[in-house]
Amino acid sequence: MSACLVIQLARFGDLVQTKRLLLSLCAEPDCEVHLCLDESLAPLARLLYPQVHLHPVCAHGTALAKLPPSEQARVLLEKNVPAFRELASLDFKRVYNLNFSPLNYRLAALFEPERVRGHVWQNGQEVVGQWARLAMRWSAMRRIGLNVADFWAWHHPAPVPAAEVNPVAKGRGGGLGVVMAGRESRRSLPPKILAALVTGLLDMRGDDALVLLGSASEAQAARQLVRELPGRHARVLRNLCGSTNWAGLVEAVAGLDLVLSPDTGTMHLAAHLGVPVLGTFLSSAWCHETGPYGQGHLVLQANLECAPCLESQSCQSEVACLRPFDGPELVRYLSTREADHLPEGLTAFASDTDRLGQTFTAQAGPDAQADLRRHFRDFLCGHVGCGHVGAGQGEPSLVLHELAERLYMERDWLAQDPESSVNRMANILSHIDHDNDITAC
Amino acid sequence: MLPLYGGSLPIGRYCIAALRQLGHLVEVFEAPDFYPGYRALQALKVGTDRLQYLENSYLQVVSQAVLAKVETFEPDLVLAQAQAPLSIQALKRLRRDGVPTAMWFVEDFRLFTYWKGFAPHYDFFAVIQQDGIFDELQAIGVQNVLYLPLAAHPEVHKPLELSAAEQRKFGSDVSFMGAGYANRRVAFRDLIRHDFKLWGTEWEGDSVLEPFVQMAGARVSSEDCVRIFNATKVNINLHSSIQAKDLVSGGDFINPRTFEVAACRAFQLVDRRSLMPEAFAQDELATFDSMAELQEKIVHYLSHPEEREAIARRGQARVLREHTYAARMQTLLDFIASRLEGWPRERASVQAAEGLPQELAQQIAGLLDRLALPADTSFADLVWAIRQQQGKLDELDTAVLFLDEWRKLYDKKSGQET
Repeated sequence: MSACLVIQLARFGDLVQTKRLLLSLCAEPDCEVHLCLDESLAPLARLLYPQVHLHPVCAHGTALAKLPPSEQARVLLEKNVPAFRELASLDFKRVYNLNFSPLNYRLAALFEPERVRGHVWQNGQEVVGQWARLAMRWSAMRRIGLNVADFWAWHHPAPVPAAEVNPVAKGRGGGLGVVMAGRESRRSLPPKILAALVTGLLDMRGDDALVLLGSASEAQAARQLVRELPGRHARVLRNLCGSTNWAGLVEAVAGLDLVLSPDTGTMHLAAHLGVPVLGTFLSSAWCHETGPYGQGHLVLQANLECAPCLESQSCQSEVACLRPFDGPELVRYLSTREADHLPEGLTAFASDTDRLGQTFTAQAGPDAQADLRRHFRDFLCGHVGCGHVGAGQGEPSLVLHELAERLYMERDWLAQDPESSVNRMANILSHIDHDNDITAC
Repeated sequence: MLPLYGGSLPIGRYCIAALRQLGHLVEVFEAPDFYPGYRALQALKVGTDRLQYLENSYLQVVSQAVLAKVETFEPDLVLAQAQAPLSIQALKRLRRDGVPTAMWFVEDFRLFTYWKGFAPHYDFFAVIQQDGIFDELQAIGVQNVLYLPLAAHPEVHKPLELSAAEQRKFGSDVSFMGAGYANRRVAFRDLIRHDFKLWGTEWEGDSVLEPFVQMAGARVSSEDCVRIFNATKVNINLHSSIQAKDLVSGGDFINPRTFEVAACRAFQLVDRRSLMPEAFAQDELATFDSMAELQEKIVHYLSHPEEREAIARRGQARVLREHTYAARMQTLLDFIASRLEGWPRERASVQAAEGLPQELAQQIAGLLDRLALPADTSFADLVWAIRQQQGKLDELDTAVLFLDEWRKLYDKKSGQET
């Protein structure tokens, strides 16, 4: 029996999006899978990944940050030293360190650098693995994008097929769930705009079951939404904001017909459970990067030239990407699914999967990068060794050559790297049983 | 900043050890690691203009590495030695960023003249000579000049109990350890009448001396040097000179061997230097002014072991009292502090174990002990010391690094929120 460790220290949504990698490791014969995560997410991880051994550590803590330094030190050391001791005592054959964060780098110090993939600590030096370096380069072309769940999954030489990660989305009869907000406020629809969309959806669906989802910090936004809703809907809704624990949230989401959400952890949870998602992606959210995983979801993606932006930078155009969501045309489109009815500034993307992972195909509205994205996916398929997805239009060899020049740097070609494509291929050929790197063919 | 190569490399390492001994946190730029790459360029067999371009480019990259290290480590001082790969561009950048720089120029300024181009870019310039160099430095705008003679490092340069085999291998009545400079090649022909051994490099092609050269003229390690000093009855210490006309050159600076032999409580006969009187009293060091005097004193001291021992004992006491690298480093730091207002800047320092419950405080104390750090080490210094370790770390080391980064993250967040 061998053991692998995944270190995922980010938030709710990221934990859910680690699923494909975890499933791929679980599918390895005689492999015990371990997950290191923030302690606040351990109860959720137990529900999502019952087959995985958890190692909670203290990594987040806004409340903790308000304590005096000595108290912070006491809490972090008292919690983390035993957890780190346990991690260090396990002989992991591979450690997948997923987040580009100083915390992840420091945690990697517990392990032999050659066993760590992603973000490595090598004698006091932070080192980015080759696959993550490649991702940093393609993230400069955000309109192209690769789903982050697939980026993490392809740290593994042969991840499980994307189509097998989540159930095909199918309504469960429990009505409409509305996720009140994401952590990034500009990505969320304000209550007034959201109320019009919710009203349209409920009227269109002809049912009156409505559930509001969110944390306690979204309670105020939920109250505003209720005020904006027509009485017939407001009277029957169940407002669960701040009143569910993780198990309660999973239970609530699992029974829904549809989840209307910006890019949130709850949206990813719905996809995990196979509940259809209607995603509203604007501002910094880009469905090709973090859209709902699996088949059967629809994303309304703001497609202004400035999208996707960075949430950390102020908007110079008064959040113009919000406007297409405001008005009756959008509800009309959702009702008819006629491309002509979709407001300008939006593209409706339907989710699906291919050999590489998650895809989104435009059902209505423009997708000027569709061809290039297809070439990009074909290029990545070649890199990871999973065949071809079929090139887009244009002269394939020329585009692939340009992509290769843009994405491959001298260091990838010239210097030895445990994550090089040749080692990846070797791992695939040896059915991932052998850990030995090959240095030459 | 160690030099890329050369004889002053051990001196750099002694400075590092001395600064640590004084309780400072020292991050080392291991320039010698970059030297093979530089040498590889010289094996290209390309045009000289192309080679010069490549060499300069390579040295610029190394300088950039220094800057990156400075950016991460945020030192109070960058201390360099001659041959330390700091370009003028890098020195300008450090000055612009307010990072003080110091050069300890442990070479003869009359021979190694390149200091003229670089000295003005250092904030502090320490030299091993006095006459001439101070004026010349001031003439090109260098204000902060310090006379800082060489020294010994008693942790290395010390009396040894040698085994019989070591005594046989390293011992003799008379020996010399060093490179075959022109004046030495001529001078030492008169020594072969004694039980004489010659150690060190660059003695090739001298048919008279070659039979006396030990270890086939290989470079002698610092450890073996100390064994030689300890095993020899009369260590000859003739300062180098590139001309063979005056065998005893009568120069000014004192070479490191003078301090090192004395620190070993070994006996030496050293040529008199103009800066010697302020470093040693007459009864602390046996000196000579001419080859005739050297010959005479060799014979005298070989037959008077008690005199040798007495001088050596007094010489060692003086070195331990005044001429250690720790003392030199303290002098340098005091000088900088006297010239640079507000240096070193106050750091918000929290002691590593401050406010922790007893069990955790004990664990941190154990960690400090393991890393040879004093009990009052600040948290920031502890973090850096942990980071200097090689290989994988244990759970406490990792948790301390993790805590440090966690604080930085949340400090940044709270800064953004306000």
